[in-house]
Amino acid sequence: MKSEFSVFGKSFIRKDAIEKVKGDVKYIPDIQLPRMLHAKFLRSPHAHAKVTSIDTSKAEAMPGVKCVLTYRNVPKVHPLRKFEYLLDETVHFPGEEVAAVAALTPRIAEEALKLIDVKYQVLPAVVDPEEAIKPAAALAQENYDTNVFHGTDLVQIPRLDKDHWLRLEVGDVDKGFAEADQIVEVSFGWTPVQYNCSPKPRTVICEWTGDKLTCWADTQLPLFVWQDLAATLAIPQANIRVIANAAVGGYGGKMPEKVATLAAIMAKRTGRPVKAAFSRAEDLIATHHRISYKNTHRVGVKKDGTMTALYNKILAHWGRDTTVPYICQGTGLLGSTMLYGCPNIKSETCGILTNTVGYGPMNGFGDPEVIYTLERLMDMSAERINMDPVTFRLKNCMRYGNRAMEYEQVLYGPIKWGILGSDLNSFPELIEKCAERAGWKEKWKGWRTPMATKGPVKAGIGMAIGMHHTSFWPSSAVVKMNQDGSANVLSMAVEMGQGYGTIISQIVAETLGLRYEDVNPTLADTGATPTSRGNVASSGTSSPANSVRLAAEDVRKQLFELAAPRLNATVDALEAKDGSIRVRGTDRKVSIASLCFAHWQITGHANNPPYDSIKDEKTGQVIHAYAAAVSIAEVEVDTETGVVNLLRLTSGHDCGRAINPVLIENQIDLGLVMANGWVRTEKYVIDETTGVVMNPNLIDYKLSTFLDVPKSDDFQRFYVEKPCAWGPFGAKGMSETAMTAVGPAIANAIYNAVGVRIYDGFLSPDNILKAIKNEKKR
Amino acid sequence: MSEIVLKINGAQVEVKAATTATLAEVLREELGLTGTKMMCNEGECGACTVLINGEPILSCMTLAIDAQNKDILTIEGLADPVTGRLHPIQKAFVERSGMQCGVCTPGMILTAKAFLDENPDPTEEDVRHALSGNLCRCGNYRRITECVLDAAEKMKTGEKDEK
Repeated sequence: MKSEFSVFGKSFIRKDAIEKVKGDVKYIPDIQLPRMLHAKFLRSPHAHAKVTSIDTSKAEAMPGVKCVLTYRNVPKVHPLRKFEYLLDETVHFPGEEVAAVAALTPRIAEEALKLIDVKYQVLPAVVDPEEAIKPAAALAQENYDTNVFHGTDLVQIPRLDKDHWLRLEVGDVDKGFAEADQIVEVSFGWTPVQYNCSPKPRTVICEWTGDKLTCWADTQLPLFVWQDLAATLAIPQANIRVIANAAVGGYGGKMPEKVATLAAIMAKRTGRPVKAAFSRAEDLIATHHRISYKNTHRVGVKKDGTMTALYNKILAHWGRDTTVPYICQGTGLLGSTMLYGCPNIKSETCGILTNTVGYGPMNGFGDPEVIYTLERLMDMSAERINMDPVTFRLKNCMRYGNRAMEYEQVLYGPIKWGILGSDLNSFPELIEKCAERAGWKEKWKGWRTPMATKGPVKAGIGMAIGMHHTSFWPSSAVVKMNQDGSANVLSMAVEMGQGYGTIISQIVAETLGLRYEDVNPTLADTGATPTSRGNVASSGTSSPANSVRLAAEDVRKQLFELAAPRLNATVDALEAKDGSIRVRGTDRKVSIASLCFAHWQITGHANNPPYDSIKDEKTGQVIHAYAAAVSIAEVEVDTETGVVNLLRLTSGHDCGRAINPVLIENQIDLGLVMANGWVRTEKYVIDETTGVVMNPNLIDYKLSTFLDVPKSDDFQRFYVEKPCAWGPFGAKGMSETAMTAVGPAIANAIYNAVGVRIYDGFLSPDNILKAIKNEKKR
Repeated sequence: MSEIVLKINGAQVEVKAATTATLAEVLREELGLTGTKMMCNEGECGACTVLINGEPILSCMTLAIDAQNKDILTIEGLADPVTGRLHPIQKAFVERSGMQCGVCTPGMILTAKAFLDENPDPTEEDVRHALSGNLCRCGNYRRITECVLDAAEKMKTGEKDEK
């Protein structure tokens, strides 16, 4: 069958492929500017302490040192939405910046840090979030009245209840539980903290030219860095140019921090460019990591598998961070109601402040942390009524027409449900296909019956489903036609590895009938590209790329208007194809290059419409876009050592429409591998009393390697295409959804193998052995 | 500071560097060869891999002075210097999108080159073991394995063509 598209659905070579394989690409850490200084930071050894004296004189006198900053000589301002000041007299976690030094070389800066003499008055600290919510707990933020977050002057959450909990309710849960034949309730352990671990630790370079600042920032949110710099430096955004054109995988972690402002201040005071690059250890101890939840779920089901009620209680551990975790939590709260179409759901959550490193967004943004436990509970309820887990999910999963909302509504209101679009009919299809591909029917031998047993080694199979939003928000783009008929597409969104620059080039080529080779992106430069929020919340394809499509349509309209008189045709008879504007169904055409040469100012611009203007054709209701995922894991567990071998992973996803299949598969792989690390290998160890990170290196903090994921034949991923009403040509974001079902699928497979539930967040050999031993004792 | 002489990508270069400077620092900061990427700077991730006399080494764990009088190959020297033609491993990574953010890519490609030069006919399991010291946070392990196996195939047939 001939595709209706010429550029879509094909795996064009990435726009950045050649520069990446040749080592030509210049990431921010690769940039060296003449006379550039290097900044390093002195960090607090204490979880909570007041600086009583700080003597920088020896550091300042050291040859090669050009600038030393402490709380005494920087403006008393809050970096974006944070409690603390830029440099604070009081520090709130072990690792917080106390002073900054800029010097000729990184080594001189490091040596100078050792000469700074700081005396601290240690304050009572709280590290354990469950201690933190007890009435007598020490205050993590000494000037805040409680450890449960309830907003600040900078952060208002209108929908918080008086007791500081955020709630979301559908139907009548009491009635729903009364109708249930079985009720299952479980409290799980804290979900694991996960370190984003961008391949490049946080790096920023600031340089002033007169009163104008250029900031090269390795971030997925240039817009936020831009806004934050303007606010903290008290200068107009117009005087600041943030460039993030070669960002490195952020996975939710590359958010603005105070470092950009501190570098800008040092650059201003020294009259030289300043680079601030974290070491790997600093990145591990002083940036924010995946938010951690302690979830309690209660579900009511009828004997036939119908879910009648669901209650979710989510404690969220924020550590010291207040930048974005409340938004993650809003997502998770909504996510706890979005996996199943149960008519009666109540979910509630609170955010807990402690004196640890901050916890917030990371790939999945608040959803995987709910789904990881919820999907284990669903297995338990299916077992209670002796129903196959696949059948149970098929019966209850969300689909077209079910209620849906935006996560921002959960925080700011009003609560007004719309629906999931027809693309979400993918869910049942994905479940069935995934089960078929994994050979579920042959392998599933029933509850508490392993797939196979070889002495102490038992094999099991488990499944889970997952969902995540694909955000649609204000965004704009420009498509600039060049005089030879080639095009540049300008977008503030970021290429950080996911392939954004490639897919927007495909979108422009498809819309204008150009060759993919004749389109190139210009990205993530606040001085040159029209505004969009950045690449977060799997929004790249649905939001900024959608404005790219609209901008390309604007160009096409202009080309049609110019071509119509030349072709002696009306505009609506024209099409853009093979580098020409043609009269449909005839040989009459004019080349786009000649139109561009004659009218050299052709430029298209467009803004996205508001999300609630996009309505379902059939029902007229507002559509919300989500992506679905299904994972089936097969494991082998050695019941004597607790060691798990991940034998096979089968995973199905939906993407609306595939713009570039290989890029989609790569993003799926990212999710699957990252999820495997999250629940099995990447243990982030914090000392329970001091809050100090015990494993700040990549030997002791273990990312998945080639050998931790199954071989190709046993690592199966696929996707289905059902056009989404939101995105360009029906495409939608799917990247973060990819990881959501993997963790619980592995947990459920371990249960199938050993017959014992692991309630801890981390599926490590010691936790598995502990659970087996406890079960034997009972 | 001492004057050291390095042979990089076939050319001899003289550079002033501290005796404590690592090869990675000298390549990146003194010579501007930033194709050698760093993820950890402490020998944990494989991103800074370069080849010395054909062997993959971690340039962040190697002193520059110890690399004197040896053939150093960095990613900048892998494509044909005259025609600019990509090495078959680079070509496979381009054609199959064997990278996402791309930070691990140069180290991954050079490790694969050293491996394929010794093992022209590897199995998937061989490739996974050979590359298991190189971390990819974007989780592209399956795709990278595909690329290296594809390149191995192309390198074999390429040799036949030449004969």
